[in-house]
Amino acid sequence: MGEKQNILITGAGSGIGRASALRMANNMHVIAADWNEDGAAETVALIEADKGSATAIQVDVRKRTSVAAMKTRIDSEIGPVQKALFAAGVFIRGVVGNIPEKDWDRMIDIHVKGTFLGCQAVLPDMIDNGKGAIVNMSSDFAVMAVPGAAAYMAAKSAIYSLTKAIALEFAPRGIRVNALGPGPIDTPILTSGRTPEEYEQARVTLADSLPLGRLGQPEEIAAVLDFLLSDRSSYMTGQIIHPNGGQLMW
Amino acid sequence: METMIVTGAGSGIGFRLAQKLLSENYRVTAWDIDQGKLAGFSNKNLTFNKLDIRDPAAMTAATEAAIVESEAITGLATCAAIYRTAPFLDLSEGDWDDHFNINLKGTMLACQAVLPAMLKQGRGSIVMFSSLIARRGALNSAAYAATKGGVLGLCRALALDHARAGIRANVVSPGIADTEMPRRVMTEADLFAKGDNIPMGRIGTPEDMVEAAYFLLSDDASFITGQDIRVNGGAGLF
Repeated sequence: MGEKQNILITGAGSGIGRASALRMANNMHVIAADWNEDGAAETVALIEADKGSATAIQVDVRKRTSVAAMKTRIDSEIGPVQKALFAAGVFIRGVVGNIPEKDWDRMIDIHVKGTFLGCQAVLPDMIDNGKGAIVNMSSDFAVMAVPGAAAYMAAKSAIYSLTKAIALEFAPRGIRVNALGPGPIDTPILTSGRTPEEYEQARVTLADSLPLGRLGQPEEIAAVLDFLLSDRSSYMTGQIIHPNGGQLMW
Repeated sequence: METMIVTGAGSGIGFRLAQKLLSENYRVTAWDIDQGKLAGFSNKNLTFNKLDIRDPAAMTAATEAAIVESEAITGLATCAAIYRTAPFLDLSEGDWDDHFNINLKGTMLACQAVLPAMLKQGRGSIVMFSSLIARRGALNSAAYAATKGGVLGLCRALALDHARAGIRANVVSPGIADTEMPRRVMTEADLFAKGDNIPMGRIGTPEDMVEAAYFLLSDDASFITGQDIRVNGGAGLF
């Protein structure tokens, strides 16, 4: 048990982040970080109920001080981080003509700055180790356009570009950085900005629009994450993988 | 036991993939025009069919024989391909046609031979091989690059056509790797020197490509279809 590696997962309190935490807890100690303290604690409880080990940490990924405090706590209570998934995200609907500046800033800060600060925080451990793997949460919408998602598209494109930049910079140090670009997945983010009726309608419409004819499950994204963080993908870096039911073939 | 069919299984990535699938407890039906490394390799779960990827009747017959011995044909990996280089103005029509008939039409014909069984089962996963060269080009490689670009289009179209029938189709695009293929057009020293210009500092191994193909064939990739997985050590960051 002492040999267990540590994985930091932001956004671990719900959705894909939680499913990823549960999957990675099969053989790693999970640091479940989330803005929502209760969500992170619930994830840890689920992992412990399944005989895994995990630590919940509350973090505001937009703030360097908050990310630094999280890393200090990890250093003192847990140890070096070998792997990381940065999946903290929100979805705020809005057309370009009237996106409030505060919504724009919130989207860009949580997704892009949050991923950047997270990577900066864990890279030194990986450099010391001569090895490491990071996965950042992008989206199909990094590449394809949909109405009402300008800030989300800009944020997810930026995460993909940042992923490639970090991959290039740290490849010589044995650190791999890849991105996930999911399509429509059945997670709480689908409910965002929708009434319960609109949500039910959206689920049916989205499923029907996909070549595979169904929404993805968070566990299916976690399975791809597991591949990207494992030695099974030891020659892959700077790539984006799209578990998307065929929504975008890229 | 379930069966996976591998084309081009006599050498290179195809040979290693066949070995991996056997070790993961699949029956493997291996196709190649040349038995190659399989000649010295025996396994009770391995069937070798000496056939030409340009011969649809032979592939249909081999598929039907495989169905008899197996509970289901759950995977097809099309690894058969040739790579010859020539300056563009010296590229002969014969070389061009060979590349297209083997790399692209051969891939399509193999899919046509195996798909009916998968459609009957309502599930199946197909993995085709493209190349970093499809997107980035390479010197004196017009014919190869064009066929590997064609594979990307073929895969997406096939993935769309059969998604609702429970079939997934994806591509692995290797960068340069430590196999027989590049050795036909460059020296051993030049091959390994290519690693100096790759962010991860080395050329790929057959196992790197095999793991990606195996991932796509498996249920870990259950929501992935129509995608191109690029295993290139960061050589293609686009």
